Amino acid sequence: MNDIVRDKAAIVGIGRSEFGRFLPESQLKLGSIAMKNALADSGLERGDIDGLSLHMGWPLGLDYDQIAEAYGLDVRYINQMWTHGRFIAYTLQHAALAVISGMADTVACVTAISFTRERDILGGPGDMEGMREGGGTHGESPPYGLTAPAAGAALAYQRYMSLYGATSEDLAAVPIAFRKHAQLNPHAYTYGKGELTLEDHQSQRMVVDPLRLFDCSLISDGAVVILVTSAERARDLKQSPVYISGMQGLRSGREEFIFSPRSMGMNQQSNGRSGADERDLAVYRMAGIEREDINGLYTYDAFSPLPLFVLERFGFCAPGEAAKWVQDGRIELGGELPMNTSGGLLSESHIGGWNSVYEIASQLRGECGERQIEGAEHLQWGTAWGDSLVFRN
Amino acid sequence: MDISQKPLPRITPDTEPFWAGCKRHELLLAECNACSKVHLPPGPVCPFCFSDDLGWRKASGRGQVSAWTVVHKEWFAAFRDDLPYNAAQIELEEGPRLTANLVGVDNEKISVGMEVEVTFDDVSEDVTLPRFQPL
Repeated sequence: MNDIVRDKAAIVGIGRSEFGRFLPESQLKLGSIAMKNALADSGLERGDIDGLSLHMGWPLGLDYDQIAEAYGLDVRYINQMWTHGRFIAYTLQHAALAVISGMADTVACVTAISFTRERDILGGPGDMEGMREGGGTHGESPPYGLTAPAAGAALAYQRYMSLYGATSEDLAAVPIAFRKHAQLNPHAYTYGKGELTLEDHQSQRMVVDPLRLFDCSLISDGAVVILVTSAERARDLKQSPVYISGMQGLRSGREEFIFSPRSMGMNQQSNGRSGADERDLAVYRMAGIEREDINGLYTYDAFSPLPLFVLERFGFCAPGEAAKWVQDGRIELGGELPMNTSGGLLSESHIGGWNSVYEIASQLRGECGERQIEGAEHLQWGTAWGDSLVFRN
Repeated sequence: MDISQKPLPRITPDTEPFWAGCKRHELLLAECNACSKVHLPPGPVCPFCFSDDLGWRKASGRGQVSAWTVVHKEWFAAFRDDLPYNAAQIELEEGPRLTANLVGVDNEKISVGMEVEVTFDDVSEDVTLPRFQPL
């Protein structure tokens, strides 16, 4: 089974637009800039793209039919998922599976979003998903005033603090680390704005207790395009291929709550946490590596507790230990496990997480200059809810 | 969506008896007649044994705060005057959890493990919301 997927598809081109806030361009325009940059990066022609895979559709971003029509594509494979960070890995996985199976030769993963233009969808009048009966997709409960995704992460970290003695000060290590990384990344929105101190973090206003302003991601605009093709074809192209070595899906069920570790007593979860299990670790088996071989970890850091929970999900530390584990620079460049080295959603920009996919490919191509992870061979995308990809160069 | 009005629960065929119970000021749990387990949110089948043979059991109405937050940011205009307001997940004595607000408590004093009991708020002619107050 592993042989079907391992290293059989690769990222061969990466492109992005400017990242920022209140950018005047339409999502279609931002996407076209990223698409042109990805094609130029890869040496492929527009006509080589015969598949699209995406998850950040209307109203935040673009739907597949708009992309194909506006950019003059003629594609034969489409995968469009739900407009959530939980489908980043899936979008790439389906692109890889499409080229491996022969359903497509080259798939473009397109994300072009304008959070600032469409900000009503975050807990405001445009957020119909939050109104779902029985609770929104991040634990929203609108009749009680929980209309925004942040509430789910706040509830979970509040419980986590109570169970394990973690604090808001502990949590600050996450945004402090990612802001530090962003100071080495001229493309980051917070580049040049300086590092954060614990005092900066603690003095910011509370948004949704215990999350302060710097615990919540940037609300930003921009586009990223990632081109995926077969490993065989990749070898003849301009860039060194970034191989997709392993993949696994997200977990769901009564023991899971999207913004919490498994079985931590949130929603209908039981109260009985245990460490990472075989299903959490399947991605390493598929890639033929051990967790210890991972040189950097990238995750969907919409809220600063999520990077803690991902560390526990994949067993980098035991349940309840992550808040202490991330102290003293451990997740910073030069530390034991650098995370989100471009600054992530918290400090680079919230391009639906695709800014971090761009960074993974850049790191594995050795193009990150001052923030290069020395000797990076295996990098992992993984989220608190369990989906993952392992990439290698 | 009209953001000047607080959203009301969306009532479905599966949840209608729960909300009808709230209107009578009774907190109901979906109960499986096959395996006797209770669950929330109310569904069409038992999530534990997948039986269709479901009934309803009156909950004691007592429970503990298992998670809580205080919202300081205005996302939805109808809640502006309430800021800052709390919301919590309540673990009922019978096991299932509900999300609701806590009333009759200072937001500074909320904690995980706090013992609470249900109280009913008739927010409209048709809808009554369960909320919780300290025991």
